[in-house]
Amino acid sequence: MNFTNLQIDIETLPKVEDLVLKPISKSYFKIIMLNKLAVYAGLIGLVFGLKYIIEKKEEVQLNLYYMLSAVVVFCIFNFIVSLLAFKKRKYAMREHDVVYAKGLIVHSITTVPISKIQHVEESRSWLARYFGLSTLKIFTAGEAGSDLSIKGLPQLEAKQIKEIISDKVNANN
Amino acid sequence: MQTTDFSQPIRQSAKGIIVIFAFNLLKFFKKFLVFFIAFGIQVIRKKSFGGVTPTMMYLGLIAILVLLLIIAILKYLNFKFHLSKDDFHLATGIINKDNTIIPKSKIQNVYIKQNFLQQLINVVSVKIETAGDKKSEIEISALDKPTALLLKKKLFTKATIENEQNEYIDDTEVFFKVTPKRLLLEGLSQNHFKSFLLIFTFAFGLYNEFKDFLEALELEKHIDDFVKLDEHTILNLIITNAIIVVVVILISFLFSVVKTFIINFNLEVVEHQKTIEINKGLFNKVSLSLTPSRIQNLVITTNRVKQYFNLHSLSVKQAMVNVKQQKNFKIVVLEKEQLNYLINKLLITYNSEGELGKPRPYFKRISALEMLVFGVIINSLSVFFFGIEMLWINTIFIPFAILYVYFAFKKAYYVISDEFVTIGSGVIDTTTNILEIHKIQAVKIKQTIFQNRRRIASVVISTASKSVTIPYVSKSEALAIYNFLLFKVESQDKDWM
Repeated sequence: MNFTNLQIDIETLPKVEDLVLKPISKSYFKIIMLNKLAVYAGLIGLVFGLKYIIEKKEEVQLNLYYMLSAVVVFCIFNFIVSLLAFKKRKYAMREHDVVYAKGLIVHSITTVPISKIQHVEESRSWLARYFGLSTLKIFTAGEAGSDLSIKGLPQLEAKQIKEIISDKVNANN
Repeated sequence: MQTTDFSQPIRQSAKGIIVIFAFNLLKFFKKFLVFFIAFGIQVIRKKSFGGVTPTMMYLGLIAILVLLLIIAILKYLNFKFHLSKDDFHLATGIINKDNTIIPKSKIQNVYIKQNFLQQLINVVSVKIETAGDKKSEIEISALDKPTALLLKKKLFTKATIENEQNEYIDDTEVFFKVTPKRLLLEGLSQNHFKSFLLIFTFAFGLYNEFKDFLEALELEKHIDDFVKLDEHTILNLIITNAIIVVVVILISFLFSVVKTFIINFNLEVVEHQKTIEINKGLFNKVSLSLTPSRIQNLVITTNRVKQYFNLHSLSVKQAMVNVKQQKNFKIVVLEKEQLNYLINKLLITYNSEGELGKPRPYFKRISALEMLVFGVIINSLSVFFFGIEMLWINTIFIPFAILYVYFAFKKAYYVISDEFVTIGSGVIDTTTNILEIHKIQAVKIKQTIFQNRRRIASVVISTASKSVTIPYVSKSEALAIYNFLLFKVESQDKDWM
């Protein structure tokens, strides 16, 4: 029987902190921006709408500028956070696992061993199709928390990663 | 014992018609009960409603019953199952024919259940569950008990037929049987906060419902007179309040005890060669087997009082079992030795040895912050509802909060050994989480922007049944754990189920 049980030197283990993570495609930020802009436009529209409706019904004077500036400040803050958070979205593939990092306020690095992957899915929304991007979804048998969804990969790369993972998963079984 | 041949497609016991019929009837009435009552009252009162007379209504009702009965019979006739070498086959459907095949190796659980009706007509239902979603569950609703047991055994024995003979002399032994006294202790020593809250909200809701009624009785006037009486009233008021609190506490005790008894009635753990079988229940009898390879997490809970009485409970978590089912996988009132024995049976090489790691003191700060938020909410609520005098609540709350932080930190620890991760947590309860490293599905490091400066991070470990967190360790420690776990998972080629 070819069995060894050597002591593991923790220092020599492959380190995730030494890994060079690759940022996702820059053009994905355009998609985020478009989505955000739609939301911001909706919010500002809501302020005007609210003022219009309320002032018609009741004789209350709402200060439009206060409300508007509050909403605008919120939007700018939100925009800066999402810009900084975008730079944190990174991924990497190692021999035995897939690593994905994201989040500015709550930063997380998730690793899914390839041997535990149940299936991989590549999906594209119409906006993503326009920019040539796709989302790679990696499903494990675990809870929803252990599934990965890497958004904004260049389509070619997503396809390649998907192929590599599928091959390895199938080879295992 | 007459043996049933499972190699040919067979139907369930003919009594299954009754079970299916009753089940469908119940479902039907659940859906349309309100409608029926409204409609029925209209018809009876007015003698006719929209051209429907009472006689017609009764006839219609009978027609519905007959229709349901026919459907039940057809369902019964079209429900056939059999076993082949490695698969379980099931054919169902009256109009749309469904053919389900489950490989024996993918079966995660086989339950034998018996609800009240099934107890009356002396049949059991067999439920076969895989790790997939809810739809992949199969239930055979009426089999007589020997057949069910045989089916279960056959489902668990792997394709080899030759050792079937050996399986019959499988040494089974009742390892553990609950006594009513210990069950009573278990019920009493539970964390009563939950049932207390439940009953409190219920009482509050009732009070709100009857508020108008009470006001109509001019109770307030009486109370006003009462208040004016003399200084005795303050004493009276305190006594009344104390009585109310005592009654609510008593009710929540009773509630817990009754619940514990109904669920765990006649709890029994039977030890087989490889598996462990749990039998329990009063109205709904369940019997389920645990196979060590299917277990993803073990959770042990106890608390101060329970520790004193030597009561421990062990929950076994499997992949994708729905919440309702999950509760059945709990064995209560185990003694310490029995608990250790069971753990060793389920996780053969388990030992809790290893370096004990504690979270950073930052943990206390977060707990304190949680308590602060909770305190602010409680204070503002009580001031809002009862006025400024209500601030006395802080004399209870502040010691509680301090104890909370103290115990939360004291009970938090983690041990990572060669094959297992053990995580301790809890405040009132003491919870111990055990998982096998090779069953880990994903590992995650989490760090908020504030923790980044302090070099603190948490590690979240997910298995197929749940995620556990090692909270607030130093960044370097977190990374070391992360790398070690990944190395362990990826370097060995063990399956997760």
